[in-house]
Amino acid sequence: MDEFKVLQVKKSVFADNDRRAEALRQTLKKHRVFLLNLMSSPGAGKTTLLSRTIETLGNQLKIGVMEADIDSDVDARTIESFGAKVIQLHTGGMCHLDADMTRQGLEALGTDDLELAILENVGNLVCPAEFDTGAVKNAMILSVPEGDDKPLKYPLMFSVCDLVLINLFDVLPYFDFDMKKCVTNIRLRNPKAKIIPVCARTGEGIDLWCDWLCSEISAWRGQ
Amino acid sequence: MHELGILNALVHIIEGIVRDENLTEVEKIVIEVGELSGVVPRYIEECYPAAVYKTFMEKTALELIVVPGIVKCRGCGLVFNAAANDLHCPGCSGQDLEILGGNDMIVSEIVCR
Ligand SMILES: Nc1nc2c(ncn2[C@@H]2O[C@H](COP(=O)(O)OP(=O)(O)OP(=O)(O)O)[C@@H](O)[C@H]2O)c(=O)[nH]1
Ligand SMILES: [Mg+2]
Ligand SMILES: [Zn+2]
Repeated sequence: MDEFKVLQVKKSVFADNDRRAEALRQTLKKHRVFLLNLMSSPGAGKTTLLSRTIETLGNQLKIGVMEADIDSDVDARTIESFGAKVIQLHTGGMCHLDADMTRQGLEALGTDDLELAILENVGNLVCPAEFDTGAVKNAMILSVPEGDDKPLKYPLMFSVCDLVLINLFDVLPYFDFDMKKCVTNIRLRNPKAKIIPVCARTGEGIDLWCDWLCSEISAWRGQ
Repeated sequence: MHELGILNALVHIIEGIVRDENLTEVEKIVIEVGELSGVVPRYIEECYPAAVYKTFMEKTALELIVVPGIVKCRGCGLVFNAAANDLHCPGCSGQDLEILGGNDMIVSEIVCR
């Protein structure tokens, strides 16, 4: 039998996925489908925010949603009840979606008649940040009860996001959440991120979030 | 177990190399984990046996090398080790830093035949 040899590889674990993500972005560009990747910790308000978003933008944009829960279709049914096209992605216990799973999800969703596709990523602040999904923009929700120091603890997540929504703003009086400190902490990780406080429950700030989304979509279309 | 997903990606990469290079056995893999990669080396070690369970890598040993996270202060230009200085510039205590290295996870080499 052959002797053991040492192969120099020097290959990034994330490189294959990065390549696939870039290819997916190109394809979506050709089909003029804007893909947004929405991330957060579990329960920060992704589904509630998306429901509000469909309410607000549903009659001006054709929206489709991919729900990536590990093992349930509760969120998908909620989104469906708001009248958007939706599919449930089965992540098979995975804690994030990569570009390939996203591509398969988009195929299953069907993008022919879509202008905006939103991916509700799996609720966690670690892996989704490592894997480029092929989205045009990344957004995340930080909810007030999670604390203003989250950007320090999960630097990568905050550095890959173009937008940070601070949700559950209605409960601010009950938590020692310092908005100023939070903004400073986000800025340290990402000087360019846009920050919008929202309350997905009452709808406060949703107009600002929808404005951001619409202007990103038209800027991207014009490129 | 967030590191499990990353390890699955790793197994796929090794799989590709084994195919491309016509290898029959992978004795050991050497992985470099950057301190600023967001990947926790200890979790990688803990999840590794589960990730390779019942794969062709079940008997493959894992060697992890932690690569220091090196940053440059955008305020004063000083280059320093991020973790050792708690993400603060030792020159001007600024926190606006540009990452120069140690933010990736790399398959460095594999011992095989
Ligand atoms: N008070 C208050 N509650 C909210 C707000 N937004 C969401 N919630 C509640 O928080 C809970 C979780 O919200 P979801 O929208 O399901 O959160 P999610 O991020 O989709 O959760 P997972 O998909 O399980 O990760 C629900 O009970 C919501 O009604 C808010 O702005 N204020
Ligand atoms: Mg949800
Ligand atoms: Zn400095």
